[in-house]
Amino acid sequence: MDILNVDKITKIYRRGFKGTRVTAVQDVAFSLTENHITGFVGPNGAGKTTTIKMIMGLVRPTAGRVTMMGKPAESTASRAGVSYVSEQPYFYKHLTVGETIDFSARLVGIKRAAVDSERKRVLEAVELTGREKAKVRSLSKGQQQRLNMASGLLGDPKLLILDEPMSGLDPPSRRLFRSLFKKLGDEGKTIFFSTHVLEDIEAVCRDVVVLDGGKLRFTGSVASLLEKGALGTELVVSSLPDNLTADLRADGLEVSRSPGDETLILIPAPKNPAAYQRKLYEQGIFCLSIQKRTMPLESLLYGANDGLANTAGDGGVS
Amino acid sequence: MRVIWLVALNTFKETIRNKVLYNILLVAAVVLLLAMSFGDLSVMSRVQVMSDFGLATMSLTGLLLAVFIGVGVLGSEIADKTVYGVLCKPVDRIQFIIGKFSGLFATLALNFLLIALIFITAITLMTGHAPQPEIFYSIFLLMIEMSIIIAAAIMWSCFTTPTLAAIFTLAFYVSGHLNDLITLNADIQNNPILKTILIILHYALPNLEFFNIRTQVVFELPIAPGHITFAAIYGVLYAALLLLFSSILFSRKDL
Repeated sequence: MDILNVDKITKIYRRGFKGTRVTAVQDVAFSLTENHITGFVGPNGAGKTTTIKMIMGLVRPTAGRVTMMGKPAESTASRAGVSYVSEQPYFYKHLTVGETIDFSARLVGIKRAAVDSERKRVLEAVELTGREKAKVRSLSKGQQQRLNMASGLLGDPKLLILDEPMSGLDPPSRRLFRSLFKKLGDEGKTIFFSTHVLEDIEAVCRDVVVLDGGKLRFTGSVASLLEKGALGTELVVSSLPDNLTADLRADGLEVSRSPGDETLILIPAPKNPAAYQRKLYEQGIFCLSIQKRTMPLESLLYGANDGLANTAGDGGVS
Repeated sequence: MRVIWLVALNTFKETIRNKVLYNILLVAAVVLLLAMSFGDLSVMSRVQVMSDFGLATMSLTGLLLAVFIGVGVLGSEIADKTVYGVLCKPVDRIQFIIGKFSGLFATLALNFLLIALIFITAITLMTGHAPQPEIFYSIFLLMIEMSIIIAAAIMWSCFTTPTLAAIFTLAFYVSGHLNDLITLNADIQNNPILKTILIILHYALPNLEFFNIRTQVVFELPIAPGHITFAAIYGVLYAALLLLFSSILFSRKDL
């Protein structure tokens, strides 16, 4: 069963006195299966937050529907076992760290007797142990975001929906969050994780959903996405004879001399690298190294190319 | 019920930690102290002046609390987005509205209790005996009236800005107290359209004068039999209707 199913959702806002229609999200459809970390990528204004708000039932879609664990997003039951961590930490300023966690814990249905141990567990996970009595407003931005994350871990949710959770964090906090996500992923949690920092996607996610201009650009595994940006295979060989260099160049391969006796050969993506490897081997030339060369994820997603237009790949997201 | 209780408790904590509440209580204490000295200047007895001022102070502080804190409890949740932290959990928006209302009503009840303690103690010290029971009926009806105002403040907060919601709540309070005048105006109207509008307004707005038995209490006049019960049922139903309407509006709101 899909843990999350987004079925052709559209959101049109009406702005200004005349009620001008502004389409924030258009016909976005994807679904997540369990136990995967899926990145939700797109530039600012792509419609990521609106989509997440529709998933969480905070905004009503103009068209389409969202179901979580088979239940419609508007229903209260759909949010049982699901946690949401917003981009900005929105807390009640009159509460302390401990009170904030206790309040959230009771809201997710944790019994009063279990609240203490649950508070300790989640604060430890985000390295905020010992700050229970501190007022939320006295915490730094990074600590507030960690508290936000701690609140999201309450009740051992099956699905975590994170809206740019690492936005504005310092490097140690980013490292903490990344390792936390990996740990949660290893525990079999499903994480849907919005960001525009592509490094985080490559480091943490298995699958990716790409949104741009309110429209879906790509769904599939990060590997299949990188495959689309494959530029070719790089071989480093030694002592390449001149006649063979000319042959390879005639075939459309890039051949360049490196310092020393080494030669760099780039086999463009559509060509079969194994065939050229065999050809070199038959001439008694061995490869010193073989490496895939891919377009950086940033150029692939945000560059001027149409390679991602409404494409679906493999993986736990479709 | 658990969720309503949690939201109500959080709202109660939020409001009692709000400086506005203490300012309102300070105003109430000052007015009551002044009332003690006004007794000698009035044609009424000191006890009558104290009762009148005491009940009027409760009405005023209740209104101030309902408007300044009532509008804020929902309006600021939406503006500050703290509402996300609650509604992204398995919480129904109706539960949230009822919890907010209950928390604010509990603050109001505490506020009334403190003011009542001050002026009832003052009356007891002045007369040497406990005040007449009608004074408690009056406080009870004031609380019912304020529950309507709080529900109205929450309803306006569902679809407009906190400033406008405060203005609308004040207008609602004033027009509720002038409801009898609307009826009188409708009776003498020749224009059928205006007459119809006034009749609709008369029925749509609450008649807040139902909850005002201050004159009867101060001058020890008889209260019509069944008035307290009728006013209480009317008030509770009206507040429930406003909360239902608020819940429908809030359920449809994009946050």
